[in-house]
Amino acid sequence: MIRLDGVTVAYRGRAVVRDVDLRISAGERVALIGPNGAGKSTLLKAVTGLVTPVAGSVELAGRPIRAMSRLAIARTIAVVPQQAILPFATRVEDVVALGRLPHEDPFRGAGPADRAAIAAAIERVGLGHLLGRDARELSLGERQLVLLALAVAQAAPVLVLDEPTVHLDLRHQVEAMDLLVDLNERDATTIVAVLHDLGLAAHFFPRLILLDHGRVVGDGPAAEVLAEDRIRDVFGVDPAHVRLGV
Amino acid sequence: MNARRPIRRYSRLLAPIVGLALLASACTSSGPSQVSIPPSATGSTAPAATGTPSPAPTLADVFPLTLVDDEGTTVAIPAEPARIVSLTPATTEILFAIGAGSRVVATTDFDDYPPEAVPLPDVATFASVDIEKIVGLDADLVVAGGNNFNSPDAIARIRSLGIAVVVVYAPDVAGVLADIELVGRAAGETAAAADLAATMRVTFDQVAAATRDLPKPSVFYELDATVQIYTAADESFLAEMIELAGGAPLTTGSTTNFEISLESLVAADPELILLGDAAYGVTAEQVAARPGWAGLQAVRSGAIRAVNDLVITRPGPRLVEGLRELAVAIHPDLVLPAAP
Amino acid sequence: MTMRGDALAGDRIGSGLFEGVRRRPVILGAVGMVVLAVAVVIGVAAGSVAVPLGDTVGILAHRLLGLNVTQTWAPSAETIVMDLRLPRVMTTLVVGMGLAVAGATFQGLLRNPLADPYVLGTASGAALGAAIAVLIPVRTLIFEFGLLHGLAFVGALTAVTVVYRLSRISGIAPMTSLLLTGYAVGSLLAAGLAMAMYLSGSGLRQIFAYLLGGFEASSWIRLATTTPLILGATALIATRARALDGLLLGEEAAVHLGVDVRRERAILLGLAALVTAAAVAVSGLIGFVGLVVPHVVRIAVGPQARAVLPLSAIYGASLLAFADVVARLLGEIPVGVVTAVIGAPFFLFLLRRARTGYEL
Repeated sequence: MIRLDGVTVAYRGRAVVRDVDLRISAGERVALIGPNGAGKSTLLKAVTGLVTPVAGSVELAGRPIRAMSRLAIARTIAVVPQQAILPFATRVEDVVALGRLPHEDPFRGAGPADRAAIAAAIERVGLGHLLGRDARELSLGERQLVLLALAVAQAAPVLVLDEPTVHLDLRHQVEAMDLLVDLNERDATTIVAVLHDLGLAAHFFPRLILLDHGRVVGDGPAAEVLAEDRIRDVFGVDPAHVRLGV
Repeated sequence: MNARRPIRRYSRLLAPIVGLALLASACTSSGPSQVSIPPSATGSTAPAATGTPSPAPTLADVFPLTLVDDEGTTVAIPAEPARIVSLTPATTEILFAIGAGSRVVATTDFDDYPPEAVPLPDVATFASVDIEKIVGLDADLVVAGGNNFNSPDAIARIRSLGIAVVVVYAPDVAGVLADIELVGRAAGETAAAADLAATMRVTFDQVAAATRDLPKPSVFYELDATVQIYTAADESFLAEMIELAGGAPLTTGSTTNFEISLESLVAADPELILLGDAAYGVTAEQVAARPGWAGLQAVRSGAIRAVNDLVITRPGPRLVEGLRELAVAIHPDLVLPAAP
Repeated sequence: MTMRGDALAGDRIGSGLFEGVRRRPVILGAVGMVVLAVAVVIGVAAGSVAVPLGDTVGILAHRLLGLNVTQTWAPSAETIVMDLRLPRVMTTLVVGMGLAVAGATFQGLLRNPLADPYVLGTASGAALGAAIAVLIPVRTLIFEFGLLHGLAFVGALTAVTVVYRLSRISGIAPMTSLLLTGYAVGSLLAAGLAMAMYLSGSGLRQIFAYLLGGFEASSWIRLATTTPLILGATALIATRARALDGLLLGEEAAVHLGVDVRRERAILLGLAALVTAAAVAVSGLIGFVGLVVPHVVRIAVGPQARAVLPLSAIYGASLLAFADVVARLLGEIPVGVVTAVIGAPFFLFLLRRARTGYEL
């Protein structure tokens, strides 16, 4: 599904992602982990075509991403948007509906299939009680769920998330993870998520990819990737302070 | 990105402009005065600013006629105009003075003379012309002000509707006399217009003769001093009037700029201050009380006099009254012969 | 996540929450068309000269429909209705539509509720162009447009082009860069305008009148020259509603939703600038329509460009047509004053009534 060969991404001449080879198959559930500045978000940007690597190639469903239109990419990969200030009052359901932009008829707008997808996404994320409200009045956590619903409504084969849980309370963190598992297992959606919370990553993701200084330094199940010496090396903390329940 | 950046609002751009426009209009609305023609209007033959030869005044024009107006536009007037619209106070005065007043059907909302013109319908304001009303009044001749006095856009639109528009603009005193004859031809009052112009010439000559051998005091003519100080520009209509009245005008040093700095004014130290803005309530006492003005010799000697700016700067038939008033204001002991 | 309140959500969605929302723009559009028609009727029937309604109808029937109506009116009435009022009303519709759509576009594109068609230098560029034209003594007319209109049009387009080019040089976020560059270039042009006005002598009156804006010199030929430009560019903007919707959540989100942001931004900017430049060349600087109409529409139907753009077009046209009638009846006062006096209280009223907090 996603294939990276020798990908190097640099900002102003400084390499942030170095020579990364990566294969993610359809239906996988992968967490990208690593310390701040390890290059996780940049790697995601390379995967979604937001940045162009200075070296290497990115392929999406067998096609080089550079040859794909933005629309084609958007129909393949849904990305949960970063929090942004909405310039105008926008109801929750209208924000979720934006997820259908890659699919709907450019002239007639949302059709029955689109509306069904929007309704389903609202239901799966559990936003029923927020309908009709201005998304700008919601709490950060509620807004995060709305943006998650948007990406769910986009109904792409791949769902990419960058820190989807930072503003969520414990219950919603778990619920969000359950949703990702459900999307992955029930709908065969490929999930790629950047996570800071190693506990959540270890518990909910069968495959972890550990990045450090722009390189992949670990790739596999949690027990393997989060070995004690790795944690000391990469995160620079005493593993005794981290209880991962691995 | 942040959605609440301060951005340029055009209204902020407009505010100072509106102020500037209103101020400057005070200097230009009553006497367009930009083009430089040496003051030579006292001669008995006025050069026609239009370049068209004035016909012998005794011959009535025969309609249809074609004339060239002050902007060089050839204007065809098919028949003697029966319903005339005047778009400037000066042309209104001219039309009434040459006996065409009964055929004037509309004027501007700032017309104030003669009294018969005041109640007529208004079809123009400072910034706009009501073309619909002009059409509704069945006007067959429109006399408009050139040099942007009336909107060129509106003039073009009126012409495109098939209504004759004569545009007049007098850069100097001679031009006013030529305009009187031009308007006279257009309105079918050639003889009366020629008579009026001739009579005005006599008065100009009288005043010139009476002041010829008198000393020429330096004169500061105040158009406005509420914020900036505005006076006569070099070679302007107003400067020419002051010269004709036997004064030496203090001018701004530019032909287009009507603004003068207080420093320049103090340095020039005029002998006489004439208050063209007296109609707006400016008095000699106020002038003396202004910071920086007390040291002027005109202020110390009390040589500050109110004048009626309307007749001095409006390019119409009352210009002769304005010149006589100006001459007496500059030379208080002068006794002028009775006007013809 | 599927444990709480979802049955309720399903019910509400199932019972047509979206249906109601979808129908609202259609209803508002229909109401807008009625308002528009009323504005046209009043615009043609009313003016500083009283033409009896029967005569107005007769003239229209005679001239537009070719009906053989007994001529009971004066020839001047026919000129007033056919050559003055009708082209003038049509011009207000086209300009009002263009300004409102351009305003909605700039607001969406820059993600800034305070944006209007005159942001990014169009106003100061047009004003400077007009002021320079006043200083040049040329009176040639092409399609009844003079040098002033030509230079105003060119000035507005040039200003936007310069702003766009300069904004791409800087390293900051494109939208922010556009706004800041627009501010800087606008300030520079305003200085040029002030200088041109200072030098203009008696031309100041004409510049002043241009800056106030108005429709007194509207004609069929001018309308025929401008309409294809404004109508065409407006229609093209409407086809790119998807890009504006995507930008609601920011540039990155728009990219992820399939919008080629860089390309769409250039296209939308160019189209909105074209509409603005044409509107400004025809009628001078008329404020408020482009700023407020899109907001009023958004309060009613939400921010989706597919609804906002057409409704802005209809209500922008109506507002300006009404404003111009009022301006005419009050003796040709500046129409921009009327748009603000009509629009501002209505907008404030809507803001107070808006169900959700509507921040600017």
